[in-house]
Amino acid sequence: MKQIFMQVLLWGALAVPAVADIKAAAALVDQYRQTPVFEPTGEPFDARACMADKKMFVIPLTNANPFNAAISQGFVDAAEMVGFELRDWETQMDPAGWIQGINTAVAEGFDLIDLQGGLPPEFLQPQILEAQTAGVKVTATHNWDASTQGAPEWMDGAANTDYVTIGEIIAAWAIVQTKGKVNALVLGPDEITPTAPLRDAIIGYLEANCPDCTTKYINVPVNDWATQGQPAVQNALLADPSINYVLPVYDSMSQFIVPAIQIAGSNAKIVSYNGTPFVLDLMRDSDIVEMNVGESLGWVGMAGTDANMRLLCGHGKVNKLNTPAFIFTDENVATAGIPATFNDGYGDVHIDGFRKLWSLD
Amino acid sequence: MNEKKTYEKRIAALETKIASLENARFIKRSTTPYTWSGWAERYGLIVAWIIVILVMGAIKPDQMFAWNSYASMFGSNAMVVVLTLALIIPLTTGDFDLSVAATMGLSSMIIAVLNVHQGIPIGGAVLAALGAGALVGIVNAFFVLYFKVFSLIVTLGTGYFVSGLILWISDSGTVAGISMELVRVVILTRFLGIPIGFYYAGAITIVLWYIFQHTALGRRMLFVGRGREVARLSGVNVTRVRSGALIASSIMAAFAGVLYTGMRGVADPSSALAFLLPAFAAAFLGSTAIYPGRFNAFGSFVAVYFLSTGIMGLNFLGVDSFVRNLFYGGGLVIAVAVSQVIRGRKEMT
Repeated sequence: MKQIFMQVLLWGALAVPAVADIKAAAALVDQYRQTPVFEPTGEPFDARACMADKKMFVIPLTNANPFNAAISQGFVDAAEMVGFELRDWETQMDPAGWIQGINTAVAEGFDLIDLQGGLPPEFLQPQILEAQTAGVKVTATHNWDASTQGAPEWMDGAANTDYVTIGEIIAAWAIVQTKGKVNALVLGPDEITPTAPLRDAIIGYLEANCPDCTTKYINVPVNDWATQGQPAVQNALLADPSINYVLPVYDSMSQFIVPAIQIAGSNAKIVSYNGTPFVLDLMRDSDIVEMNVGESLGWVGMAGTDANMRLLCGHGKVNKLNTPAFIFTDENVATAGIPATFNDGYGDVHIDGFRKLWSLD
Repeated sequence: MNEKKTYEKRIAALETKIASLENARFIKRSTTPYTWSGWAERYGLIVAWIIVILVMGAIKPDQMFAWNSYASMFGSNAMVVVLTLALIIPLTTGDFDLSVAATMGLSSMIIAVLNVHQGIPIGGAVLAALGAGALVGIVNAFFVLYFKVFSLIVTLGTGYFVSGLILWISDSGTVAGISMELVRVVILTRFLGIPIGFYYAGAITIVLWYIFQHTALGRRMLFVGRGREVARLSGVNVTRVRSGALIASSIMAAFAGVLYTGMRGVADPSSALAFLLPAFAAAFLGSTAIYPGRFNAFGSFVAVYFLSTGIMGLNFLGVDSFVRNLFYGGGLVIAVAVSQVIRGRKEMT
C-alpha cells in the first residue's frame, strides 16, 4: 500500500510541469541592485610602511581601451593614496610592448609587475620566468574567474573576478522579465579567457532554473565582431523571431547587435556585462539595451593594488577582487553620468574602505 | 576645335592599342556576346550566387527563401558596397588605396564627436566627415604623385596615421548618442522592406557604372590604369586622373563611414578597419564578373552580396565561425581561379 502511495506521489510530481525558479532569480537580481558595499579583503595593515621601499609596475592589455585605462587609473590613485612609486606602462595591444614593459620593470628594479585587464600571461611565460629569476613578482588582475579558473602555478598571484555570479545575474534578469520564458541568443568570443565562465554561467543558470527557457550560443571572435557579429545576430533573429533576449558576454558587442535587432525588426532586448560607458549611454537613449551588469573599474584597480601590496608585504594572497557587481537599468543609469563613465554610479565606499584597510587614517 | 579633334583621335588610337594588347577581348565580346565562355565569364558569379541560394535554400528553405532575409542583408551591407566601390576607383587607375577603411572609421568618428560632444547638427557633422575624407585623399594624392611613392606604401602609412587620429579624437572610446535622424535616413526608413541605405549604395553603383562604361573620363581612367606612359604620351593628364581617383576614393570611403554610423548610431575607434579585407575581396571578385578583367561597379555590387549571401546561409545553418572565414577566403580564391580558367589563365591586370 505504501509503495503504491509513493508511486502515485511520484507520478503526481512528474505530471506537474517544472516551472522556473523565478523567486530565486528575482532575489539574485534584487541583491545586485543594491548600492555596492565594501567587504574587507583581509586584516588591516600599514600599507605606507610596507611599501616605503617598494615599487609596482602595471602593464595593461592596451591603453587604447578605456576599460584598461580606467583600471590603470585605479592603480595610480591607490599608489598616490599610499605614497609609493607605480609605473603605468603604455601599450597598444602589442606583445613587443608587453615584453618591453617586463624588461623595463626588471631593469629598473621594480618589485612587482601586474598584468591587468585581460593581458594573457601565457603569451609571456619566458619573460615572466626571467623576471621572477631576477626577484620580481608577477601577478595578474581581472583576468580569470575566481571560482572556475585560476592563474597558472608559475604566476605569483592573481586577483580574479567572480564572472560566474555576473553570468547568473544576467540569466536571472531575463528569467524574471519573461516570467520564465526566455529564448536567448548568447554571444561571446571564445578566445577571451573570461568568456567561458560567463557563457557557461548564463547558459547553465537558465538550464538549471528555467525548464521553459531555451538558448543558442554563437562564438564570434573579437576580430570578427564588426564584420560577422551583426550578420550572425541578424540572421539568428530572422531564423527565430521568437528570440527575446540577446546576451553578449561583453557589452561592447552591443554596438553591432543594436543595428542587427533594428534591421531584423526584432523586439529582443540586450542584457550584458561590463558597464561600458557608451553602452550605458545607449541604454539611456534607447529601449534596446535593457540591463547592464557593471563594476567600478577604479575599485578594481584599487583592489588589485591591495592584493599586490599584501603579496609584497607578506599579508597573504587575495584571489578574488572585492569589487561587487552592480545592475544598471533605465531607473539608475543616469547615476553613471551623462555621458556615462566607468566609475560613476557605484558610490565611493571603496575609497574609505581601502583607506581603513591600509591604515591611512 | 582642332585640338579637341586631335585629342579624340589620340584617345581612339589608345583605345585600339589597349584593345589589341588585350587581344581585343572586350571589343570582340561586344560583337560576339553569346559565346558560352564569354557568357560564363560575365555572369558566372551571378549563377554561382543563385546556386548558393538554391543549395542553402534546400537545407533551410524557410529562411533562405524569405524576402525579409534578403531585405535585411541588403540593408546591412550597404556600407561594404560603398567601401568596395571606393576601392575600385583607384584600382582602375592602377593605384591601391589601403587607407579606405581607416578613412571610413575617421568619418564615422568625426560625425560622432562633432554631433555628440560638440553639439553640431548632424548635417554639418556629415559634411565635415566628407571633407575630412577629401583631405585624406588629397594627402594620399600629394605623396603618391608629387614624391612618386608607390600608392601601396603611402596609403598603408596614411591609413595607420588616420587610425591614430581616430584614437586621438575619440579618446580611444566608443561614442554613443548620435542623432537618430542619421539612423532614420540609413536603416529605419525602408522601401520594399529594405533599409534605404541599400538604395544609396545602389545609386552610387549605377553612377559609377555609367562613368566607367559610358564617359570619356571612365575610358581615360582605364587607360591610365592599363598603361600610364602610353596614356600620358597620348595626351591624357595622368596626374589629374590619378589624383582625382584617390580623392574620390577617400570621399566615397568617408560616405561609407556615414552609412556605417547611421547603421549603428554609435562610432568606435577600430571596428571599421576590419572591413578592408572584405572590401578588397569583393573588389577582386567583382573584377571577374560582368566586365571581366576590369574593376567594375556592378561586378563589385554582385560580389559583396554573393559573399554576404554565403555568410547569411552559413549563419542559418548554424556553422562554427571558422567556417565563415573558410567560405570568405576560400570562396574568393576559388571564384577568381575559376574565372581565370574560363579566361584562359591570362595574367590579371
